[in-house]
Amino acid sequence: MRRKVGFGAVAYWGLNAAILFFLLSPIAIVSVFAVNPTPYIAFPPVGFTFAWFAKFFANPDFVHALWLSLKVAVAVLVLSMLIGATAAMALARGELPGRRALTAFFMSPLMLPAILTGLALFQIYLLAGIGRPVWGLVMGHTVIAVPYVIRTTLAVLANFDRRLEEAAALLGAGPVRVFFEVTLPLIRPGVIAGGIFAFIVSFDQFPVSLFLVVPKGETLPVVLFNYMKFDLDGAIAAASMVSIALALGVVILLEWIIGLRAYLKF
Amino acid sequence: MRWLIWPALLLFALFFVLPFAVLGVMSLLSGNPVNAPAVNLTLRHFQRFFSDDLYLEALWATLRIGLLTTLSALLLGYPLAHLLARARSRVGHALLLMAVIAPMLTGIVVRTFAWMTLLQDRGVINTTLIALGVTREPLKLMYNEFGTIVALTHIYVPFMVLTLAGVIGRVDERLEEAARSLGATRWQAFREVTLPLSLPGILAGSLLVFALSISAYVTPFLMGGTDVLTLPMLIYQQVSSSFNPNFAGALGVILLAVSLVLVIAYNKVLAGLSGGEGLS
Repeated sequence: MRRKVGFGAVAYWGLNAAILFFLLSPIAIVSVFAVNPTPYIAFPPVGFTFAWFAKFFANPDFVHALWLSLKVAVAVLVLSMLIGATAAMALARGELPGRRALTAFFMSPLMLPAILTGLALFQIYLLAGIGRPVWGLVMGHTVIAVPYVIRTTLAVLANFDRRLEEAAALLGAGPVRVFFEVTLPLIRPGVIAGGIFAFIVSFDQFPVSLFLVVPKGETLPVVLFNYMKFDLDGAIAAASMVSIALALGVVILLEWIIGLRAYLKF
Repeated sequence: MRWLIWPALLLFALFFVLPFAVLGVMSLLSGNPVNAPAVNLTLRHFQRFFSDDLYLEALWATLRIGLLTTLSALLLGYPLAHLLARARSRVGHALLLMAVIAPMLTGIVVRTFAWMTLLQDRGVINTTLIALGVTREPLKLMYNEFGTIVALTHIYVPFMVLTLAGVIGRVDERLEEAARSLGATRWQAFREVTLPLSLPGILAGSLLVFALSISAYVTPFLMGGTDVLTLPMLIYQQVSSSFNPNFAGALGVILLAVSLVLVIAYNKVLAGLSGGEGLS
């Protein structure tokens, strides 16, 4: 029987191509405006310039915000990897009562509106008279980021062969040595994958930051948002490209580290 | 091993549970206890909300935008999730997955900016339509609910695709083949077999996207202009310009109540699906 390419198959592939176009073209278009020299957003592009990138890096508000975002994201990356990985270990191994409910509880920041997490933290800082310090922002981001690390680490622990640890213990390794030489290397990919999510979640975080930043101490997404309320030019496009490049850079960097390790193992 | 749970528990107690409890208490207080010494318990913030048409309209607009976003995300997400779940080559699957995840790695502010450049009066779509002679005046594609829903759909489709792809992938392809060998067309086999079996995924994905889109702030603000007022926008307004943390708290509690219902439903659906694993 000859397979014919029917209307259905054409519709199926055409539809999916259109959906992929819808998904990806808006991001591609940003890169066009980042190098288009017109003073406002105009289509089609008329030339090529790096002036918008220059404007971005010459603007102290943007550069400060970029630095702050990076510093906060790195702090969140470290904190959430530590807290998330330990929690995942306890959840998978600790024989805790109500393990399932506890896991769901730790996942809840992902489902509850982040804007409410921001509002709630804003109110408690207000009542406690803390003000809006950077560490308060870091803690807010960490609460949102920890669930990702817990989830990815639990996924690795679910496929973990515990006999490896038992073998190490039988061969005379103490619990600390077993942890650092067997357990940790094996769960590392999960922790690092969670860390990648944590970094990006913090770097792109908006609703929590909105409530917790102070004027002149805003993160990049908040600065971009405030700029976009009044101005829509190539500087925003350039800033977008810079932040996409940074996020991508971190993903590739961490992916490369794990990827290389996986390659060395087999 | 057990004690390793403590850092996370401490973090969540101090920076999640306690703040939300404070949020709830604030919504019931007559003033800010820091600078108003005589505060008492009151329901007046909730009464204010439910007796003013402006606020009820904002709640309705929030739900309406959430519903329409969910519907369009489902319509766009299903075919892509199906393709992703049924992709035979590993490279094709990886590339598709990357295409779905790439937009998620781009911040909400950046993605909203992209839609502003596409939909504004001098934007890509209007310029192209005018150049082609399809229309003389630019179409009003943003600063309204339409633009808001388009951008929100773009932002939340990946969540829908990832949820659906997992469920569709678990539907045994041989069932569809059996239906086809019994004489069903490809479309009939899909409609009668795969589609009903993926219903839990449709429900879970829809609840997720709905919960996410009713709490959106940036996109309704920038894409909606003065035409759109949603609950999250009201909340920030109360904090930033009206300086009324108590009414903001009440608005927060109302949004929280809606979200909790959705989260619990989502968990029930997923638990039914995987035999009781819930959010994990």
